[in-house]
Amino acid sequence: HIDPASLLPKLPRPEELRPFPTVASIEFTGHEGRVRSVSIDPSGQWLASGGEDGTVRVWGLADGRQQWQVKLSSEDAVDAVRWRPGQDALILAAAVSQDLFFVIPPIGSPELEQSSRDILDAGFGYAANGKQQLTTAAGARKDPPAKWGRPGGRLEDEGVLLKATARSPIKVINWHRRGDFLCTVSPTGQKASVLIHTLSKHLSQMPFAKLRGLAQTASFHPLRPLFFVATQRSIRCYDLQKQELVRTLQPGARWISSFDIHPGGDNLVVGSYDRRLLWHDFETGSRPYKTLRFHDEAVKCVGFHRSHPLFADASHDGSIQVFHSKVVNDLMEGPTIVPVKKLTGHKVMNKLGVMDISWHPQHPWIVSGGADGTCRLWT
Amino acid sequence: MEDTPMGQPPMAEARQIRVNFTTSSPDIQLPEGKTQLLVPADIKRYGLSRVLNSESMLDTPAPIPFDFLIDGTFLRTSLEDYLKTNGLSFESTLTLQYVRSLIPPVYEASFEHDDWISDVDVLSAASRAGVWSGDKLAAGQDRLLSASYDGLLRIWNNSGQVLATSPAGGHGASVKAAKFLSSTQVASAGLDRTVRVWKYSEAEDRLSGTLRPTLELYGHSASVDALDVHGPTGRILSASADGSIALWSTSKSSAPAAPAALLPGAGASLSKKRKLASSSSAPQRGPLSHMPIHGSSAATAVLFDPADSTVAYSASHDHTLRTVDLTTSRVASTIATSHPLLSLCALRRGGGPLLAAGTSARHITLIDPRVSAAATSVLTLRGHRNLVSALSASPSDEHALVSASYDGTCRVWDLRSARAGTRAEGGGSVGESVYVIEREAKKSGKSKSRDDVPGKGAKLFGVVWDSTWGVVSAGEDKMVQINRGRDLLAAAA
Ligand SMILES: [Mg+2]
Repeated sequence: HIDPASLLPKLPRPEELRPFPTVASIEFTGHEGRVRSVSIDPSGQWLASGGEDGTVRVWGLADGRQQWQVKLSSEDAVDAVRWRPGQDALILAAAVSQDLFFVIPPIGSPELEQSSRDILDAGFGYAANGKQQLTTAAGARKDPPAKWGRPGGRLEDEGVLLKATARSPIKVINWHRRGDFLCTVSPTGQKASVLIHTLSKHLSQMPFAKLRGLAQTASFHPLRPLFFVATQRSIRCYDLQKQELVRTLQPGARWISSFDIHPGGDNLVVGSYDRRLLWHDFETGSRPYKTLRFHDEAVKCVGFHRSHPLFADASHDGSIQVFHSKVVNDLMEGPTIVPVKKLTGHKVMNKLGVMDISWHPQHPWIVSGGADGTCRLWT
Repeated sequence: MEDTPMGQPPMAEARQIRVNFTTSSPDIQLPEGKTQLLVPADIKRYGLSRVLNSESMLDTPAPIPFDFLIDGTFLRTSLEDYLKTNGLSFESTLTLQYVRSLIPPVYEASFEHDDWISDVDVLSAASRAGVWSGDKLAAGQDRLLSASYDGLLRIWNNSGQVLATSPAGGHGASVKAAKFLSSTQVASAGLDRTVRVWKYSEAEDRLSGTLRPTLELYGHSASVDALDVHGPTGRILSASADGSIALWSTSKSSAPAAPAALLPGAGASLSKKRKLASSSSAPQRGPLSHMPIHGSSAATAVLFDPADSTVAYSASHDHTLRTVDLTTSRVASTIATSHPLLSLCALRRGGGPLLAAGTSARHITLIDPRVSAAATSVLTLRGHRNLVSALSASPSDEHALVSASYDGTCRVWDLRSARAGTRAEGGGSVGESVYVIEREAKKSGKSKSRDDVPGKGAKLFGVVWDSTWGVVSAGEDKMVQINRGRDLLAAAA
């Protein structure tokens, strides 16, 4: 007689997979209304948050103190905040309606502030040289997909130094690792829904002549010149140099909310509004390697830690589920995924729970932003 | 048969227990032949303390409150309850290690601020800065220094009056650390990436004073979050979120020039605007030595060796504790731990200090930094419910320290109290706190709802333990809270 359970692969116990975040250490309070987006800067010192009160706030991550804020709009919410990668500058990108703002919060050293300004200003020279002029096949001038310029007046005094205005509201921002390209997604933007911006040239481009389905989110591959775009049901991977479709992933979700690519580059995790979390191994075809159901409500966002073998998803049920994931560079062995901790504490307000998460660049810590108006650091 | 300690014949039916008194403190050893005794089974700590103080035992001129350790655990019940709880026979001889009692810290006062308080230090005859001041310290010149997120330093007397506030436009942003160098000199550091030196002087009536900036020190490229000072040599150590520590001089003439690129107004116009807002006229200088020893991980605490001001210890988010030779600016040794380190204090011992490091994982690790030490991690102190942000050694007891945490409590620890760690704790030796100091403001306030963030609204950032002032702690509740030990014997008599 063989116990069938003994034939199942043995998963390690969570205690053996430390470190991972287990408790809420700091609550960041101040936003009036929901927090929609959170991002920890590359140095790990600062937390940026954007909320429905139209403000971007910057907090000391170690002490929970708000050190700076700017009101970007009195009508619209801040939908996304993302720090530029790299420690050579301190630049925050923030999306409000159609506007993509570039902000230098006055919290860095004079040197860092100067290098940040230089990065934002470089493109003005490029635009003045007239290289940006776009023409259609017929030779007629065409409106660029986004217009770049100074935000003007009060905002510039407060450190908001550059903006690019797209044709429709931007909901997602993701940077390329080198910090010169970033992509934005405007789900209602039709063929201009996905844009790739070149900061050093103040240039915005539509990478696709047409896109089937409604774009939800997009991201650069962490290592190779590949670009991923998620519509409601599928994720397409494009080669940016050859300008061609490489593969299409079919997670089987009814409505994709978010995805993130494993830092090793060969796996991807997808979250869906139909409460599922789907792990794709690029080696195992277009269908998911694993489907995970850990939440009672929609999975709003997912994210891998950049150096620890951890990922997490956040849900409108108010919780964050943390997983340990071991990815082996071996065709015969698939990834090992172990749920290690459910983080609870955010209050669910009007059926919305955790809106966004951001891993710490070094430590096994995560920050969440919630519909309850708070951010939390979990350690 | 031995003397009965209370001077009364034992009741026929009263049970007695044989105890054996030991101590590790040479000055309170019992005479030969007096260490064994029969005591009533229902005796507790207080009774045993009286027995030890009695004429026939130590014959102390003034009563010394004692605590008793059995197998590393403080006796908190009667002896008979201890025997029952541990399933021991009444026939066995109990070995009681007696130690001078840590007096429970009783709430004394709170000094209210307008904003979060990041750090506190005190001046008194027995404090380090008081000793360094020598004759310049006036009799009874007990002062408290607080550093606030409002950008200001304040000096208070022991009645809770502010004698001096630093002028506006000093740090211009949150002050993160402050210390007395002497009764007339203060050092501070903050979010503006500077270390500053201040001259403190008091009016003749000692009811007011002034804080005047004397030096602005530039060298760090991120927030300066911790300081230590050494009065006799006029040296300051700083730890910054930029991953470096630095050594500075308080002397304008011996300090090097400030690095131009780090001065306000260098480059960006936003900084220029801020420069106009502050109108300080203090000379600007650079560090004697800038040591980027923690890579890009924040340095969170730095200390002078208590016995040798040419040796420093620094703690970092990179999990390491480093010993630095300040004469060469080289790292002499690196001790790696398992967690980000946030705070540090040194306990004096013969043969070199024992270091206590507070971690983000809610415990305190006791570390022997000597290269020759057999085991670097000596003991783990557990009990805090959130990260450990500040530590201070006891002013009188080489075995005691106090910690402050984001959980809103201070805890007093006695290193002699230790048990074997459980498997979940990773084994080793584990100590638990002797006393917990809650926030007075939180106690009297509205009943706290069940919070998933321990200590929410009452994070502590600073603590100092002084023989005159007691345990002084400060944090997010905008209060400096003073708790002072009261004599247990006197209180109970
Ligand atoms: Mg594989």
